[in-house]
Amino acid sequence: MVAISVHNLGLTYELREKLSLAARDKRLPQAGGIISGNRRRRYVTALDDVSFELVAGDRLGLVGSNGAGKTTLLKVLYGIYEPTAGRVGITGRVDALFNIDLGFRQEATGRRNIVLRGLINGWTMAEIDARMDEIVGFSELGEFIDLPFKSYSQGMAARLAFAIATSLEPEILLMDEWIGAGDASFQEKAQQRMQRLADHAGIVVLASHQNDLIARTCNKVLELEHGRVRRFCSIAEYLTG
Amino acid sequence: MQQILKSAITDIRAAIAFRRVWIALAAEDIGDQHRRTTLGPLWLLINYLLFAATFIFLFNPNPADHTYPVYVATGLLVWYYLMEALSLAAGLFQREESFIRGTTLPISTYVMRTALQCLIRAGYGFVGCVIILVISGVVPTWSWLGALPGLALVILVTPAFIAIFAFAGVWFPDSQFLVGNFMRVGMFITPVFWSGAGEGGLRGFLYYFNPFTYFLEIARQPIVDGTIPWSALGLCAFITALCWVLALYLLGRFRRQVALIL
Repeated sequence: MVAISVHNLGLTYELREKLSLAARDKRLPQAGGIISGNRRRRYVTALDDVSFELVAGDRLGLVGSNGAGKTTLLKVLYGIYEPTAGRVGITGRVDALFNIDLGFRQEATGRRNIVLRGLINGWTMAEIDARMDEIVGFSELGEFIDLPFKSYSQGMAARLAFAIATSLEPEILLMDEWIGAGDASFQEKAQQRMQRLADHAGIVVLASHQNDLIARTCNKVLELEHGRVRRFCSIAEYLTG
Repeated sequence: MQQILKSAITDIRAAIAFRRVWIALAAEDIGDQHRRTTLGPLWLLINYLLFAATFIFLFNPNPADHTYPVYVATGLLVWYYLMEALSLAAGLFQREESFIRGTTLPISTYVMRTALQCLIRAGYGFVGCVIILVISGVVPTWSWLGALPGLALVILVTPAFIAIFAFAGVWFPDSQFLVGNFMRVGMFITPVFWSGAGEGGLRGFLYYFNPFTYFLEIARQPIVDGTIPWSALGLCAFITALCWVLALYLLGRFRRQVALIL
């Protein structure tokens, strides 16, 4: 039975000043959060005391303003960031749709890129072979699949990226915004696949700024503010304010 | 400390499980670098031969010495390999930032991808080295097998070197330019095409106090002199062990923080 159990999760890290001869980089860390400490040692608290539990069938909408900690929380759940406090318990295979364009090689063919992306996703060669025809078919690339990726139009590249990224059967699906791709006709097909993915996954966690999407897809909402939970409630409670 | 070691080993074991990824990406890297050229990766062989020929014909202190081409060919092979590994290492995690922040691939995956890429490139240099050895007319002897432990040590120390310089590059981004410049100068202050053995002064200092000297000699001396440099082997084994201890510490301590610091 798939489940996510997060207790008092915290992610704090030291903002290390990089040694550089160039002008100081004044940008804030990309993970967002609250900066504390003194001039010598500064710390970023990206997540603080976050707790929630999800069981099979739950669709959680992660909401909050930019820098609230939505993406950071997704990355902790996926295993990219390691929490510095609290406990994260996950039962089930986790797949994520973050940056679907990541890692495409311009000189390699579409088919070779499917293999490479599959390997990066942790698929075996047998799994890649089994999914190859379906990915090629869904992407509608036809004979272009054996041409270099650099020869693809933006729409073709987006279709291939989408076809590979969504060619999975996740038990737990993490999404940073709902993804779409291609022209109008493909968009509809992509929407249907996204809906099917979400319907078939045991648990979905979707970070989005689109309230209508959250209302349509999710049954629970976790609202974050400066890395802390503002409220964790049902979608009905969230919508009624 | 035990926790740090455990964390490092977990990462390395995960990278071994993901070996298909870094093997495929390393091969793609080599292919991409020469994809649009007529000769493809053969340029690596040509580059090596051109450099070796330049040193052999222009810098040979004694044209009657038929071992000099062998000395240069073997030294250049090891130097090129180490130079590329260190130069690529210093900016490694910055180049892989999107992968590190977007996937759960273990950090060692990037280290091994770079190490393998350097090894493949060195393979072309190795062919060039064999060509020079054949042309120079030296007769292979059993003593050449004495170079194998040396070459094995050079290959073994490479992932540790790469990991150390890659982590250094995270906190000190300028290091990739420092390392690049140092390695370019290093070619001339390391006995790649000159020898300072038994000499005093600056040449002797650069020869004996340069750790790269010993990594070159453990692969070179068995072929050039037919002897095994035991003391150099011992020193290189010690440096290798030391580098691995440091690499494992950095990996275990900071592997999870790289994604946040980049």
